[in-house]
Amino acid sequence: MVELKNIVKRYENGTVALRDISLRICKGEFVFIVGPSGSGKSTLVKLLLKEVEPTEGEVIVNGFNVTQMRPKDIPKLRRSLGVVFQDFRLLPNKTVYENVAFALQVTEAVPKEIRRQVPMALALVGLSKKANVYPGQLSGGEQQRVALARAMVNSPLLIVADEPTGNLDPDTSWEIMKLLNEINQRGTTVIVATHEKQIVNAMKKRVIALDRGVLIRDQERGIYESEDKNDKLFD
Amino acid sequence: MKIRTINYLIKEGAVNFFRNKLMTVASLSVVTAALAVFGVFFLLSLNAGYNLNILREQPEINVFCFPEIDDAQVDQVEEIIKNHPKVASYTKISKEEAFDKAINEILEGNKELLEGFDASIMPVTFVVKLKHPSYSVEVSNEFSGIPNVEKVESPQKVMDLISKLVYWIPFVSFLLLVILFVVCVLIISNTIKLTVFARRRDINIMKYIGATDWFIRWPFIFEGVIIGIVSAILAFGLTSYGYHVLESRINHDLENIGIDLIYLLKVGDVWVRIALTYAIIGVTVGILGSVTSIRKYLKV
Ligand SMILES: Nc1ncnc2c1ncn2[C@@H]1O[C@H](COP(=O)(O)OP(=O)(O)OP(=O)(O)O)[C@@H](O)[C@H]1O
Ligand SMILES: [Mg+2]
Repeated sequence: MVELKNIVKRYENGTVALRDISLRICKGEFVFIVGPSGSGKSTLVKLLLKEVEPTEGEVIVNGFNVTQMRPKDIPKLRRSLGVVFQDFRLLPNKTVYENVAFALQVTEAVPKEIRRQVPMALALVGLSKKANVYPGQLSGGEQQRVALARAMVNSPLLIVADEPTGNLDPDTSWEIMKLLNEINQRGTTVIVATHEKQIVNAMKKRVIALDRGVLIRDQERGIYESEDKNDKLFD
Repeated sequence: MKIRTINYLIKEGAVNFFRNKLMTVASLSVVTAALAVFGVFFLLSLNAGYNLNILREQPEINVFCFPEIDDAQVDQVEEIIKNHPKVASYTKISKEEAFDKAINEILEGNKELLEGFDASIMPVTFVVKLKHPSYSVEVSNEFSGIPNVEKVESPQKVMDLISKLVYWIPFVSFLLLVILFVVCVLIISNTIKLTVFARRRDINIMKYIGATDWFIRWPFIFEGVIIGIVSAILAFGLTSYGYHVLESRINHDLENIGIDLIYLLKVGDVWVRIALTYAIIGVTVGILGSVTSIRKYLKV
């Protein structure tokens, strides 16, 4: 499903964001990626989307060899997964419905399919009533739910979220995480990079911890901090 | 690409065209002006070419004898013309015919002005048709040297002038076309860059949800093409109206002063060529202008 083999990422300015990371995430898993600021979480997410290229190593996502993929095939990779960002990234001139439908439009889906899928996705995130409203008229939590609906509307195998709750208050954050969990329960693999200590601890999912670009912990049913009290990397 | 996708992409392009009013108006006026300037030169070269061809089809030279020579001397001149290998045919205009012609055509029947004169003041003239227009210079020079010939007139001077125009106008038009073409491409490119810049976030989002580069590019290309086509239509309206007014006045004036050798083409004769040229240039600058301006924001 997702496989990183000996990934090293060194940016042009010399910053090493990831050092020899290897990991495998299987179909249907729910994985948190945690770590302090600058530890390389976003870099890892960008590698999966082929937004950045690894300096060394190989990335495989949904059967695509991302590292060897030609730029013209990138859209195929991105259609096979859904992305959610901290800042929602909705199109301001399109309604909620149009935003979600747009993800299908770019794949040239048939209109009938669009009319069937979009209401289902909106229903799942509980926004059926706001279909004809513009993103500017929605709260942050609602906007993020639209982004979630858009990410899952073409039934991707994988959803990747980079700090999806970074701009939201604790209650709303919980709602979004619960939604992601629900989507995961329907069979979609979910990867979430986050700083939400309490939520990570409460949900008891697999946790991959990074620090300064190094994978320091990979734990099933893990928590935000290491149980090893000598490990003072997280406070 | 599917029809509904094409519909969507064209609609997006049109929306951009109207969203960005100030820049759209600015680039429309510049491109229209550039096309119109080019059109003026294009029309000039069309007319020069047309008139030269007409003149080429009349390879006539007039040979004037001295008025005071006698018939025997005229016969000698005629003998040389008749036997010249490059002469196709000729007609002899006698002193009397030349006199009548002078009274009727030049003096418009006012005989009184020539009171006291008779046909003997007029020269015998030979109107010579050549086998090929290119012989004109050579034969004119040769005939000037015949004894008792006063002068030889050929439309060579007019032809020389028009030949020069026919040579230089397309050259200047082409140079101008290149310059104006580049200006138009830059102007459209700037306008599209502004749209692209205003929509860079949208482009970024579209890339994340898996839109292909062409899906993103097409609306901008359509926007450029719309600017090109609308400018072409405006420029066509301007030049064809302007040319129509000018052409009828100039042709009228030419007729009045008795020049029937030169004649301007009617709008009806040239509009298809102008419209096609404008359309092709408009669409090309539209496409080039937009394609060159999107690249930067597609790299995500
Ligand atoms: N485009 C870039 N060019 C150079 N260095 C970069 C670039 N992007 C990130 N970095 C560096 O790489 C390291 C990892 O950054 P990254 O954004 O992956 O961290 P993060 O774990 O997502 O942090 P945060 O929790 O603050 O979002 C940091 O030191 C950062 O400064
Ligand atoms: Mg980050």
